[in-house]
Amino acid sequence: MIRLDNVTKIYKGETRAIDGVSLNIDKGEFVFLVGESGSGKSTMLRLLTAEEPATVGQVHVAGKDLSRINSWRVPYLRRNIGSVFQDFKLLPQKTVYENVAFALEVIGRPKNIVTTQVPAILELVGLAHKQQSFPDELSGGEQQRVSIARAFVNRPLILLADEPTGNLDPNTAQEIMRLLDRINRTGTTVVMATHDQTIVDQMRRRVVALRQGQVVRDEQQGVYE
Amino acid sequence: MRRFLSRAAYFARETWINVRRNLTLTVAAILTVAVGVMLVGLGLMARYASTNALGRWQGGVQFEIFLEPNIAGGQIDALGEELRNHPDIERIQYITQDQAFTLLEEMLADEPELLAEISVESLPPSYRVVPRDAEGELIESLAAQFRQRPGVYSVETGRQQVDAIREWFNSFRWIVLLMSIVLAAASAMLIFNMIRVAMFARRREIEVMKLVGATNSFIRMPFILEGMLHGLAGGLVGAVAAGALRNHVEELFGRSEILAFFRSFTVTSSQFTTATLATVLMGVIVGALGSAFAAGRFLDV
Repeated sequence: MIRLDNVTKIYKGETRAIDGVSLNIDKGEFVFLVGESGSGKSTMLRLLTAEEPATVGQVHVAGKDLSRINSWRVPYLRRNIGSVFQDFKLLPQKTVYENVAFALEVIGRPKNIVTTQVPAILELVGLAHKQQSFPDELSGGEQQRVSIARAFVNRPLILLADEPTGNLDPNTAQEIMRLLDRINRTGTTVVMATHDQTIVDQMRRRVVALRQGQVVRDEQQGVYE
Repeated sequence: MRRFLSRAAYFARETWINVRRNLTLTVAAILTVAVGVMLVGLGLMARYASTNALGRWQGGVQFEIFLEPNIAGGQIDALGEELRNHPDIERIQYITQDQAFTLLEEMLADEPELLAEISVESLPPSYRVVPRDAEGELIESLAAQFRQRPGVYSVETGRQQVDAIREWFNSFRWIVLLMSIVLAAASAMLIFNMIRVAMFARRREIEVMKLVGATNSFIRMPFILEGMLHGLAGGLVGAVAAGALRNHVEELFGRSEILAFFRSFTVTSSQFTTATLATVLMGVIVGALGSAFAAGRFLDV
């Protein structure tokens, strides 16, 4: 599903954010990317969504070689990838329902799909009763669930999460992890960058540790350190 | 079809949100477009009007055959007879040397010392000829026919004056064209900046759209439509203003004796329609260019 072959990413000619990384992630895997700030986790995720091109090496996502992909094909690639962020990136002037529906509308999904899929996914994340609320009326955990609903409503093959529990208290973080686990069980590949030792240790999934842009550890059912 | 409709509804909604959000800037852009394209419309109408007027006068409605000052009386009568019997000539008027001098006295009333130099005998008598048809080619051919006759000193048609007026009109047209180009560029830049502001205001939405895989053209479309809408609104306002101005000016020409000369400067209704359509179209093009350029520039993947 995701394959990196000897990938290096150099910013502004000097900073090696990713340094000679080779990595293979299969369909349906759940992978934690761990490491200190600046170790290259976020850059890795940006390479996967084609926000940044690799300086050296090849990145394959969902069967596409991103070094050869036409720029006009990039949006179609992203339809196969859901993204979740620490700061949620919800639109404050839209309701919960509208925020999720927006993701389908802007890729041209017809209205009948929108009206059936959006309530279903809000049901899945447990927010069916808050469809008409605005993001600032929700708790952090609820906002993150809306964001996950938006990322997953189009049933992507891959879900990328960059510190999704970073702004949440431990209990709420547990809820989010249960939700991501559930999504993973539907066959969706989940890649999650995190600092949260408790969660990583508790979940016992594959752990890829980065330091200064290099993979220093890659364990099945690993722990944070 | 369903897909198309939901997209159209989406674009209409988003475009309207943008317009509403930037109301003052929207008005400014629309007015600038309006003034710019109004000049385009007026320039076009002035062009039609001058072409129409000049076509009507090409060579003047009458021309004058000047005779040699020492021409024999018999020759004058023979020429007069020929002119009167000519099928293309409506009527003629003979101006004697005395009458010519009286006309000159009026013209040179302020310069008596110049007049003192001129004697009645040195002036040519002339025939003023009104042809049946005020058509430029006919007048030119008549003038050519009589220019070579014995006793004819020269034949003057109104061509020189018409050429002078045409030259004046041409430079007027160039000035209007130049001004409208400057204003069109200003409008395009204003719309460009407006779209940039609109895109900045909606950068979070744009970020999310890119994130979930909306295509660039889909993201740009509401902004380009917004620019075109401004152009269209400006074009319509400009066209109405140009039309109103044209009516006002024509009325002025009709009322004022001083401006009676300009009465032949009118545009036909089909020319007016063409000018109006060109004006509106110009607005839409300016809007589309400004916004497409902005949308292209500020939306890199």
